[in-house]
Amino acid sequence: MNKSELIKTLSEETNIPIEEAAMVVNTFVDSMKDALTDGDRVEIRGFGSFKVKDYGGYSGRNPKTGDMVVVEPKRLPFFRAGKELKEFLND
Amino acid sequence: MSGKTLTKAEIVDAIYEKTDRNRAEVKGVVESLLGIMKQAIKKDHALLISGFGKFEAYDKKARKGRNPQTDETITLPPRKVVVFRLSRKFRAELNDE
Repeated sequence: MNKSELIKTLSEETNIPIEEAAMVVNTFVDSMKDALTDGDRVEIRGFGSFKVKDYGGYSGRNPKTGDMVVVEPKRLPFFRAGKELKEFLND
Repeated sequence: MSGKTLTKAEIVDAIYEKTDRNRAEVKGVVESLLGIMKQAIKKDHALLISGFGKFEAYDKKARKGRNPQTDETITLPPRKVVVFRLSRKFRAELNDE
């Protein structure tokens, strides 16, 4: 399922106009993105949580050519599925 | 890292600010949304949210494990696990590229 299908399904299931369903989905996603961009955690009960991890840069090598490459520091979010989601998937 | 946590209640508030509905209705819509998301991950094994990332469910085989406290060998049953794959766009935004 993709985002537009998600919006359509939400609109049908809750009887709200498609534009409103789109606003709900976009606000939901944007709130999570903004929080993670600020380095905050996100915790959605029953679904899961996200946190951002910081990785320091290092110089490595291209294993194929042996060339030195500089790996820049980066920030990546990690998702952990919540208990309810895990149980839902497995029964 | 500011140590703050965004919760469902704050997301409900953000949506509530943009509608004429009451908070209980908005909460209901958000719960429906989460239900649809969970169902999609279970049924389609994938939920793609463009500009954010993709939730993927995959099967893990049964494997032998051990209870570290009792040293007993146990067979862990096969199960489904969810991973989140970050979208390139969001990755770039997080790293100011």
